[in-house]
Amino acid sequence: MLFFRSEDLVRAWCRARGIEPRPLVTIAQLWELAVAWYATRLTPEARRPGPAEMRQIFARVGLNEPFWDPQADVFG
Amino acid sequence: MDFDSNVKQAVYQHFANAGTAPASDQLAAQLACSTDDVRAAFARLQQNRVLLLALDRETIRMAPPFSGIPTPHRVEVGRKTYFANCAWDALGIPAALHREALVHSSCGQSGAPLRLQVGLEGPEPSRWLFHCQVPAARWWVDLVFT
Repeated sequence: MLFFRSEDLVRAWCRARGIEPRPLVTIAQLWELAVAWYATRLTPEARRPGPAEMRQIFARVGLNEPFWDPQADVFG
Repeated sequence: MDFDSNVKQAVYQHFANAGTAPASDQLAAQLACSTDDVRAAFARLQQNRVLLLALDRETIRMAPPFSGIPTPHRVEVGRKTYFANCAWDALGIPAALHREALVHSSCGQSGAPLRLQVGLEGPEPSRWLFHCQVPAARWWVDLVFT
């Protein structure tokens, strides 16, 4: 899970490793994910999101590809 | 709270306060139990995907978003420095602490430095991108690689 300065640099990184580029996430989207995952992490009742909740979070952020499905086997 | 929850809370509070992972004997003293009790709780918390332990099964490698070892993703909050496990967790630390932060990282391809100011409402506008190679269904197969 890395930061990149541009889409071209993501493509170059993937090309060098022989892999398909994955869905790109903006910094604003990443912040929404970070808040959804971690805003309550220091509280006693904190827990990781389950599969259904993960799907809801990704959909809310606009990440609807099967890549983000915690139970999908579409991507090798 | 049950014992494992107490251990988890103590681990996260230590990370938040110190920026580093607590040692098992520190936690044992704090929780008035044996180090074996703490190690057993660590193992259960790893099984439940709360912590990731190092190969010695005692040192905390990850308590997401915190990293127990230095990484290229450094987060400054006030005078404290934290290390994040990945780009996602670099934003996760200010989100977890509910504090303003300065994230230092770099471009995965070019190595260009990233310096991202994060306020209470989120990061400053940025055209940088986040890319994850591993699909969500496989994140925990090898969390260090992910």
